[in-house]
Amino acid sequence: MTTFRLAALAVLALLACAASLLAGGSFLDAGSVARALAHPQSGGDVATIVWQLRMPRVVIAATVGAALSVAGALMQGMLRNPLVDPYLTGVSAGAAAAIALAILAGIAAPVLPALGFIAGVSTALVVAALARRGSGLDAYRLILAGVSISAFFSALIAFAIARSTSLDAAQQILAWLAGSMAGRGWSDLGFALPYLITGIALSAVSIPALNALRIGDVRARTVGLNVERAQWIILASSALLAAASVTLAGMVGFIGLIVPHIARRFVGSDARVTLPACVFLGAALCSVADAIARSIVAPSELPIGVLLAFIGVPAFLYLYSRSPEQRA
Amino acid sequence: MIELQRLSIAAGGRPLVHDIDALIATGEFIAVLGPNGVGKTTLLRVLCGLATPMTGAVTVEGAKLHDLPSAERARRIAFVTSDDVMSEALTVRDVVAIGRFPHHAWWQWRSTEEDDAAVAAALDAVHMRAFSDRLLTTLSSGERQRVWIAMGLAQETPILLLDEPTSHLDVRVAHDILALLRKLAHEGRAVICVLHDLNDAAAYADRLMLLGCERMLAFNTPGAVMTPELIQSAYGIAVERIDTPTGPRVFASITPA
Repeated sequence: MTTFRLAALAVLALLACAASLLAGGSFLDAGSVARALAHPQSGGDVATIVWQLRMPRVVIAATVGAALSVAGALMQGMLRNPLVDPYLTGVSAGAAAAIALAILAGIAAPVLPALGFIAGVSTALVVAALARRGSGLDAYRLILAGVSISAFFSALIAFAIARSTSLDAAQQILAWLAGSMAGRGWSDLGFALPYLITGIALSAVSIPALNALRIGDVRARTVGLNVERAQWIILASSALLAAASVTLAGMVGFIGLIVPHIARRFVGSDARVTLPACVFLGAALCSVADAIARSIVAPSELPIGVLLAFIGVPAFLYLYSRSPEQRA
Repeated sequence: MIELQRLSIAAGGRPLVHDIDALIATGEFIAVLGPNGVGKTTLLRVLCGLATPMTGAVTVEGAKLHDLPSAERARRIAFVTSDDVMSEALTVRDVVAIGRFPHHAWWQWRSTEEDDAAVAAALDAVHMRAFSDRLLTTLSSGERQRVWIAMGLAQETPILLLDEPTSHLDVRVAHDILALLRKLAHEGRAVICVLHDLNDAAAYADRLMLLGCERMLAFNTPGAVMTPELIQSAYGIAVERIDTPTGPRVFASITPA
């Protein structure tokens, strides 16, 4: 049954990605898109739109959705706290603050993703150092350090916006904060890919540990889990995935918090199926949201983070209200 | 075989018990007794490698326990704790299957036929097979206790440590569990179990380890440990002893205020 549900989620992700190829400034019919996909070298407007504009967007959106969902599932599993999200490590706040200050300082736009990645990972390292207890991590310290450092960087971002004399600079900063994939292409994905692959590989290695951690740190130790080593691997994986996502799309909230909940509801809490379910659900949700964001007010775009909150929060609350626990 | 050599233990920097020397063979059921806060749980935590001793050493089949990698320790010693904190939506089978963790390599995700057999046997042993698909959160505390014991059994270790395994159980189930533990011991495991009920301990255990203020007061057969003098020394309470065909029993001489 679980395998069937996982397969259904994989099909859903493929359908969502295919559907989002159709949407944008102009709607394309499915037949034209299929022909363009089958004959990439055929030329013409549709092939150009599909291969040069929409395909990179769809792949990036799906990648960001999958990466953030897995990063969220990792943090929730490690801390056994359903309220944490992948940005708890301060990755997004650190990256956004660095990017905001760089925009304020007039640093060139192509440098910003790399700068954001370095700042995000550095912030995660600072948070991890503050949360360190012995050779492992203390869950409460991690949450406190993450929230405190994120609050500090939020103040820096507000400062950068307040000090910005140009409307364009303020809008650039806001675009990063609200999440957007406008203007992103294959080169951006190429930059993030090594970190995404490393993050996914580390998350796969963490699967047995995540399953053991479901019974708590102490009991996980009694069955032979090296909890400290598992915590560092999980944290590194989550931070890499979140930082790579921020470089691709800015701060896309909501997905990393909510998708793991929905995935667990569909396939249970066994990480062997929860993590793949997060990949498929996150990819589906983010690619559809991006398609709506770029088509609903075309030719301009809505910030994807805002759209996800508008659609996702009511959907999640509906699902939650229909859960067996709530009905009981 | 597990050996405690001049073992001194502490919790939070506070010394608890000094210089414990003991040799426990497989096939024995040992009950650890003593008043609250004397260090019984800390002793079990040291014996399974969760805590390090202040001084002294623990050896298992000649190997120093605290030098062993965590997975190797967990293949030799299972520890059933008395903590009952649980938030995940886990089924009974999920929980018991986690007991197989130390038998898997880090890349091995799928359970084997051997794992399935061990999980089924552990569930049968505590009479919880029919509850396999129930969520742990829907069970009573006594039923959950049996699930944790099953998880320890699924680890299939030669040494089994249990911290107050009967604390949430009704009298019949408590005796079922103690009988099971004695059977497991006599089938070839070493079972070391913290108990509060002196008479249960005397009825089921082969030897009793009685801990008092900062020292081990006795480690001997129930007949030798269940004396009014030793019980008075450990708990500060007068008891009367009655010898029955199944061993000695003690009764506190208390007049309610």
